Amino acid sequence: MTAFTAILVDGYRELVAKKLFTLSMILSLLVVAVIGIGGLNEQGVTIVGFTIEVPFVNSTMFTPAEFYKLMFNSVGVKFWLGWLACLLALVSSAGMFPEMVSSGVVENMLSRPISRWRLYIYKFTAGLLFTSLQMAVFCLASFLVIGLRGGAWEPGLFLAIPLVTLLYSYLFAMSALLGTVTRSAIAALLLTILFWGFLFIVNSAETIVNGFRIGSVKECQAIEALIQKRKKENPDVDISDLQTELERDQSTLSNLALWHRVVFAVKTVLPKTDETTSLLQRWTLEASNMKDEGAEDAEEVAANAQKQRRRGGPGFGNSRAKTSVVVAAIEADQRSRGVGWILGTSVAFEIVTLGVGCWLFSRRDF
Amino acid sequence: MVSQNQNVISLECVSKVYGGNTHALRNVSLNVGAGEIFGLLGPNGAGKSTLVKVLLTVVKPTVARGEMLGKPIGDKKTLTRVGYLPEQHRLAPYLTARQAVEFVAALSGVDRATRKKRAAELLDRVGLSKWIDRRVNVFSKGMRQRAGLAAALVNDPQIVFLDEPTDGVDPVGRVEIRDLLIQMRREGRTVFLNSHLLGEAEQVCDRVAILVQGRVVKQGRMDDLQKEGSRQELTVRWGGSSASAGANSQMEVGLGGAVTLNSAASARSLPFRGVNISPTITAEGNHQYVFGDVDASAAQPALDAVRATGGEIISLVPMHQRLEELFMKIVIDPTTGKAPPPGAGS
Repeated sequence: MTAFTAILVDGYRELVAKKLFTLSMILSLLVVAVIGIGGLNEQGVTIVGFTIEVPFVNSTMFTPAEFYKLMFNSVGVKFWLGWLACLLALVSSAGMFPEMVSSGVVENMLSRPISRWRLYIYKFTAGLLFTSLQMAVFCLASFLVIGLRGGAWEPGLFLAIPLVTLLYSYLFAMSALLGTVTRSAIAALLLTILFWGFLFIVNSAETIVNGFRIGSVKECQAIEALIQKRKKENPDVDISDLQTELERDQSTLSNLALWHRVVFAVKTVLPKTDETTSLLQRWTLEASNMKDEGAEDAEEVAANAQKQRRRGGPGFGNSRAKTSVVVAAIEADQRSRGVGWILGTSVAFEIVTLGVGCWLFSRRDF
Repeated sequence: MVSQNQNVISLECVSKVYGGNTHALRNVSLNVGAGEIFGLLGPNGAGKSTLVKVLLTVVKPTVARGEMLGKPIGDKKTLTRVGYLPEQHRLAPYLTARQAVEFVAALSGVDRATRKKRAAELLDRVGLSKWIDRRVNVFSKGMRQRAGLAAALVNDPQIVFLDEPTDGVDPVGRVEIRDLLIQMRREGRTVFLNSHLLGEAEQVCDRVAILVQGRVVKQGRMDDLQKEGSRQELTVRWGGSSASAGANSQMEVGLGGAVTLNSAASARSLPFRGVNISPTITAEGNHQYVFGDVDASAAQPALDAVRATGGEIISLVPMHQRLEELFMKIVIDPTTGKAPPPGAGS
């Protein structure tokens, strides 16, 4: 325990000595300040007395508390902490392991009565201090802003501390492994960023393919419902056009389902950075406030979708499925992925990465 | 503490092979007694640091049969009683001297109160009391070495491994470090000194081992090694050239062939080991000769010969073999006259 505390304190001193840590803290507080000075009125978002008209973000759509929580999640956690602050933390701590295994330092560490795997894990834990301290400050400031400005005291915000720290730990485990292998801070940093980019690509690919797959499912269901409706109205009606459309969509669905299975399998074994931070949104914000377009059946939806596409808007297939239905289905699908799956598979990957790092560190001569 | 005369390190066989064919250590076997300063000497790349790293679990040995402080080599708990100053060690630049020493103490399992007390005491002892709360990054190399020494002692170790402790230290600092080593011995600690500075080792070591290309080629007490092959310097005097010429034949017998008679009647200089030894003419006109490097076994017959020819023995001084001479004899290949290439052999 003495050694663990010493390594943690040493890690803290190392961070404090770095200007990047101080800079990152200041930026965190600035982000909270920016969130805090924003507000809502009936027209849109207000910033120090000026109103920026935003159609779907105004006081008729959100309460002040919801607005600040949305800002906390989407700007603070997803954008700032989930990306930029993590990047700064990686830059700041990429040298920790290469420095530990460098000549003149490693001898002092390894010649002590602590096993190598303990040293590795202790050092790794110390490396998480950057993010956890930054998160603690950010959450406390956000808690005060949302409480004072939004009138809602939301202790659930503090869940961001373990969640973002966990997100960072997936990446830092890789950085530690690469730093131990390459003994170079630059190589560890660049390769970790590449790995992060790979995770982003896999996650985006899965989200896109899954979106199309669900859209296609809903499209087929909408066409089937339309066929049923037409047959019910007139059993002799010609539905060959719909049948052709259905067959084509079912074929597309089959292809999309196959591709989704492949991408999903790859994603399953990798850390889920985006979904880890999304958990916070799931736990702190209510379900989607998206309003129904009001269209009733598939023909009407298709007509609306055609109009929307002519205006350059998005759509699924022939867009016989209502966008709100598809979006709700996608949200439901994402929510069906349990916390256990998201965190369990991610932590499993992290444990394997740490295990490989410990193994290499334990058997190597220095 | 382990009692005197007991071995604190006893190695039967330590080998380290890198990559299957690079032998860094080959069947190293040596003993280090309690409370002594033991010098491990050798040219660069001989395997000195590797051996220390094996003992301190920094390098995994290929074979390691032996004990340190009564426990098998590689036992982690034993390291609570061991201090180490690595070669070209680096202390974290963001720490003060006090924090750096306390950090090492904490890694060694020293409790908070003790490490605070000992860190302050030791930094004072190595002459850094005024710099105790200054960051290490402003220290000179010598100051860092002193801070490293304090860190090596902070867990009150029974054995202290010092790998080139005077590296980068100025002459005054070297003397201070040497005094510190002697002080450690006085306190009953065993000091394992890795060095290629032979003069330094000669001054402080009780016992040494010489490692060449991963093999211990010589080890023993410093006194014994110095006596081994030691020589004597003989100064004799004869009255006048005829006396000295007459003495030559006797000297030839006395020195067992070491002096070859110069047959010239006026031989004033005596060839000895290929060099003509010229006499010094004293104020009284006597011829005084100095024969250096006389074999110990040949000294007595030479004295008899001098006396028999009416010569006067001025002095016979034993000349201890310097460690450097011994080292060079061991390290230089007699067939090629060259030192082995640096690094471990294949």
